[in-house]
Amino acid sequence: MFGYLIRRILTAVPAIIGVVIIVFLMVRLAPGDPALLLAGEFADQATIERIRVRYGLDRSQPEQFALFVSGLVQGDLGTSTRTNRPVTSDLARFLPNTLELAAGAVLVALLIGIPAGIISAVYRNTWIDMVVTFIALLGVSMPVFWFGLLAILYFSVNLSWFPVAGRGTLQHLILPAITLGVSSTAIIARMTRSALLEVLSQDFIRTARAKGVERRKVIGKHALRNAMIPVVTIGGLEFGQMLAGAVLTETVFNWPGIGRLLVDSILARDYPVVQGAVLLIAIAFILINIVIDLLYGVIDPRIRYD
Amino acid sequence: MPSRIKRALLLALLALLAGGVSLAQTLIIAQGTDAVTLDPHDSTDSPSATVTSHIYETLFELTPDGEILPHLAESYELSDDGLTLTLTLREGVTFHDGTPLTAEVVEGSLQRFLNPDNAFSFLFLLEPIQEIEVLDEMSLELRLNEPFAPLMSNLTHSSTAIVLPSAVEEHGDDFYRNPVGTGPFKFVSWEPNQSIDLERNDDYWGGAPELAGVRFLAVPENTTRMAMVESGEAHVAVRVPPQDIQRLDALDNITVENVSSVRTIYIYFNHNIEPFTDQRVRQAVNYAVNNQDIADFVTGGAVRPSDAAISPGIFGYTPVGQYEYDPERARELLAEAGFEDGFSTTLYSPSGRYLQDIQIAEAIQSMLAEVGIDAQIETLEWSAYLDQTNRAAEENNVPMGLMGWGTVTGDADYGLFALFHTSEHVPAGSNRAFYSSEEIDSLLDQARTSTDPAEREELYAEALQIIHDDAPWLFLHSETQLVAVNDAVEGLIIHPTERVLAFDASLNE
Repeated sequence: MFGYLIRRILTAVPAIIGVVIIVFLMVRLAPGDPALLLAGEFADQATIERIRVRYGLDRSQPEQFALFVSGLVQGDLGTSTRTNRPVTSDLARFLPNTLELAAGAVLVALLIGIPAGIISAVYRNTWIDMVVTFIALLGVSMPVFWFGLLAILYFSVNLSWFPVAGRGTLQHLILPAITLGVSSTAIIARMTRSALLEVLSQDFIRTARAKGVERRKVIGKHALRNAMIPVVTIGGLEFGQMLAGAVLTETVFNWPGIGRLLVDSILARDYPVVQGAVLLIAIAFILINIVIDLLYGVIDPRIRYD
Repeated sequence: MPSRIKRALLLALLALLAGGVSLAQTLIIAQGTDAVTLDPHDSTDSPSATVTSHIYETLFELTPDGEILPHLAESYELSDDGLTLTLTLREGVTFHDGTPLTAEVVEGSLQRFLNPDNAFSFLFLLEPIQEIEVLDEMSLELRLNEPFAPLMSNLTHSSTAIVLPSAVEEHGDDFYRNPVGTGPFKFVSWEPNQSIDLERNDDYWGGAPELAGVRFLAVPENTTRMAMVESGEAHVAVRVPPQDIQRLDALDNITVENVSSVRTIYIYFNHNIEPFTDQRVRQAVNYAVNNQDIADFVTGGAVRPSDAAISPGIFGYTPVGQYEYDPERARELLAEAGFEDGFSTTLYSPSGRYLQDIQIAEAIQSMLAEVGIDAQIETLEWSAYLDQTNRAAEENNVPMGLMGWGTVTGDADYGLFALFHTSEHVPAGSNRAFYSSEEIDSLLDQARTSTDPAEREELYAEALQIIHDDAPWLFLHSETQLVAVNDAVEGLIIHPTERVLAFDASLNE
């Protein structure tokens, strides 16, 4: 298994190099000029030129790329052109916040999604299944922005149960975690349902039933564990997606996360921050995939890594 | 709800409140974005300027009424030839680290601002200063090559604030987050994209503020920001969206303040692109657009239709008239210019930069269609928009562009020179219309170098009249600042330069 891990990490290296190159080029292909933005609408040409020199934007692109890579191997991602903060310290500050939010959201998704999926599968094609399916459909199609704002207006402004926005206590986490987790909850519920149905139709379940094993045990022990592989995969991928895709939730709840940092930086053509953040998210995504693969072995001992 | 749970909740709430007692006299202001930097010399955005204005001070002060008063400079004298400004500094002013304010400190601060290597965006404000000489501990001279009338106005601009050179040196690259000023509030902490905390400066030369502190929150989402002021989590929320004005104002404990801003919104015509080379066409567009309707229906009454190229409250402003909405006259002018059947063009607009910008562009599109002008709308995200509109004449394809311009020094020079002088065509300056008129150039030059305020006002009045008649812009409106304020707050200043200032504020909670 150790060898497997090493191999997985090594195969990730070309992907990361690809990300580095693509991000470097893409952010520069976007229309707009960071020096012009920094200078503002009132700036004259001389100021824009001075800013260009100050941030090394006057250098050729190959030169900029060489600088970026040589910094990268030394663990230095450069300095934000917008805020002058070192990129690494910004990422170190904002990534844990997003991890906290994403973990909360995935927890919500698993805690609600799996039981909902089980109920739906067990009561397949009854009104209960239809209600759960309907709610799941609602959850997937509801815009995060809209849901988050409604949650704030109802639970924070009208009922004063939670703070409107910001990060700090557990109370601050609840509404944003639910908001971010809603669509994942729905997806996990649907996934659990279909995986469980598939397992329930297999021979060993019939055998277990025939042997007189309690229904609760058949589902909870024999079937559920076998149905968990696709659910874990989806859960992990959802988690990975939230690292970059939590920007709407982060914006609505004023959560100082990496998604908002990334979007602000893209709008400001803040090349070093965009490069650093995308790179970090790519690495996190790859790591999450490796962890999911390792989890398969835990769930299903028949899976071997050699 | 069972009463036991209720009681538990109440207790929890009380505990929360008790924990917040030390914050009771802290004013909480929700801004639209986080400050970018707390280095005043380097800041170009209102949120940064708002925060630094509490920590740092300028040599001169622009009052909300547009008056220029000496501030860190206690008195000044301008030589008769207008080439030397002698400043005597206020006695007894100290920085937050205890360093006294001296002429040498001021010189160091100005030299830093003027150093081209630092590449500060607002360097141009003080660029005419050729030489700075310290006369004695508390006085210094600023020397110019030719008279520069807006000098004192420009010295009110928040970016020219006096910083402590020894602190700049000590903190190096981290100076932007370790501000040390002379202002009424001291810096405490900054959580990026969250909050900035300031505390009262008990040794402030002007007397310690009443508030124990000020906290600035960065809340980009409009609805969330409004929810915070509604729920009491913030006392003040800036940039109230027009659709929320009535609802918030109707609440018992909140008032939406409507204060004029020095920001003028307009659509410029590119004078290199047909048919906007023809004055009649430019005037026709002005007659075709009902900017009162735009003010009333698109921005919820939150703006003031323009009667000059700059806004009231700016030195040099004179109302010179409005193009009354008259589509008939617009069609006549178009016919005279040879466009009986109208023409097609493209109207560029940034998205989300100015209040209701896209909606304004859409309203104008439909008004222009009434007189036969077919304007396609091209909306661009701000960065791409600046890129397009800032190009040199030969590669500039923007026929009409929506822009805003805040005359933040309170002097017409800032609001007119960079926008209308021939030497300021983009990319050298900000004259995106490529407007060029010898008459205007000469008036603006004279007004810039004249030392007689009355004469300057006359020159600007004349220039504004010519600009109005020549119609290089579709004149729209000046923005107003809509700020939701909890009624417990008193003495808050909403400055026309788009800063909320809490120097004299207090809370009666």
